[in-house]
Amino acid sequence: MATVLIENLTKIYPPTITYPHRVQALGGVNMSVTGNVFVAVLGPSGSGKTTLLNIVAGVETPTSGSVRAVQDGVPAQVGYVFQEPRLLPWRTVLNNMLYVQDRKSDRSRREAEFYLTMVGLNEVAHLYPAQLSAGMQQRVGIARAFLVNPDILLMDEPFSHMDALTGRSLREYLQRVWLHTRKTALFVTHDVSEAVELADRIVMLRPGGVVFDDIPVNLPRPRHPDDPAVRAVEGEVLRRFDSMEAAVRFGAQAG
Amino acid sequence: MLTVPSVTPDAISELSTREMRRAVARRWLFRFSVLIGWAAFIGVWYFFSRLVFNPQQLPEPHVVAAESWTLITERDFRTNMQASLFRVLAGFLLAALLSTGLGWLIAYNAWWRTLLRTIVQLVVSTPIVALAILTLVVFGVSSLGPIITTAIVATPYIMMNVAQGLTGVDRRLIVMSESFGRTRTQIISGVLLPSSLISVLAGARLAFAVAWRMELLTEIFAASEGVGFQIRRSFESYDVRGMIAWTVLFIAVMLIFENLVFRQIERRLQGRTA
Repeated sequence: MATVLIENLTKIYPPTITYPHRVQALGGVNMSVTGNVFVAVLGPSGSGKTTLLNIVAGVETPTSGSVRAVQDGVPAQVGYVFQEPRLLPWRTVLNNMLYVQDRKSDRSRREAEFYLTMVGLNEVAHLYPAQLSAGMQQRVGIARAFLVNPDILLMDEPFSHMDALTGRSLREYLQRVWLHTRKTALFVTHDVSEAVELADRIVMLRPGGVVFDDIPVNLPRPRHPDDPAVRAVEGEVLRRFDSMEAAVRFGAQAG
Repeated sequence: MLTVPSVTPDAISELSTREMRRAVARRWLFRFSVLIGWAAFIGVWYFFSRLVFNPQQLPEPHVVAAESWTLITERDFRTNMQASLFRVLAGFLLAALLSTGLGWLIAYNAWWRTLLRTIVQLVVSTPIVALAILTLVVFGVSSLGPIITTAIVATPYIMMNVAQGLTGVDRRLIVMSESFGRTRTQIISGVLLPSSLISVLAGARLAFAVAWRMELLTEIFAASEGVGFQIRRSFESYDVRGMIAWTVLFIAVMLIFENLVFRQIERRLQGRTA
């Protein structure tokens, strides 16, 4: 069983030539995620969502605190879906998938084709990324993350650059693949309806990188944004979001 | 009353056929204008040969063409062109090898960057005639001199483009690779090298053109065979026809290389990343 244990995590970026001030991205985050759950980390811009994900992925180091991402006691394999697809432009879709795999065998090729089929892209496996639409490229990014058979799946606002219709269809693809694999997922977003549609649990971060609230979402899957139950939870999350903003404003005034 | 024009499938297909015809016409017009350009160039050549100079000073195009054909059919042509080609390629390969390592150092090490930039400025601002004469003094009349001088002159062009290619690599692709647990070697071969290839190729093209010219010049001063040596020999015997014919053949071989090797590689790379 995969576990992500985050304890008192702080990240402060030092001043740079272009911005001569220290920036606190995370201010002592505590949370844990265990088992095959889909957790959405929701927060406005500047709440340290991407930093949190990068530290869990191991591509950034924390200033203080600790992150443990383990699967049965050993370091967990991580799959990452970025805001942009981040595909290698000189490789075909299939070869982009194979790039993240250690073994280059017939089996890994078949696995890559399987996940491409899951996101509806097996027909374009021989094409280069420049020949695909932005939505199709992001679907390759999703398939690539699942291909490494990750213990923990990290997703950093993967649909934020998409138009509403493409984003909606991509969410459906993601739900389909996730229901098939049921990987432990950390999904960063600033879109409340996206969080409610996809997650079992919503962790709200406030500016400065502090956990404000932790909301369970007990709704059956697959979910649809027009479903009244989904809308009701969305309303509740929005109310809490408003109270968070009020608290932040009050804190700023009091400070 | 408002009338909305209907867009039928037939209308769309007619439109695309018309667009296609226009594109084909534009392509033929372009080819035709290139032909006109060449014809104008030959016309100007005839004009200067007959009316401004005399045919002894500047032979007419058809005379040069006949002389070039005679040279091609002679055994001397193969020997001399092979000698020149060998030196250009050897010098270029040496430059490419040196540039890969030095470009890497410029991209990732501030101390080397400062040092090598100064050396590059020194090499680029040195007149190539001075280098050619220096080659003769240091190496004497041999193949080694032209090869090394060609490498020295070509290296800065490739080296700076290797450095530029490496520093221009999309950092996000490296982060992606790291997040998927790719090793350093995998990131070098999978991301750094391919993404700097277009920039390196542009430098290589430039370096190759410079290498040709440098090679020709050093052969004039410091070789006993090769195209440059043949041009010098023609000059010494006041054979202007021979001089121009050798130069034309040299340019022709250079253009063949440029179009068959570099342009094809570039086209393939651009096709993938466009």
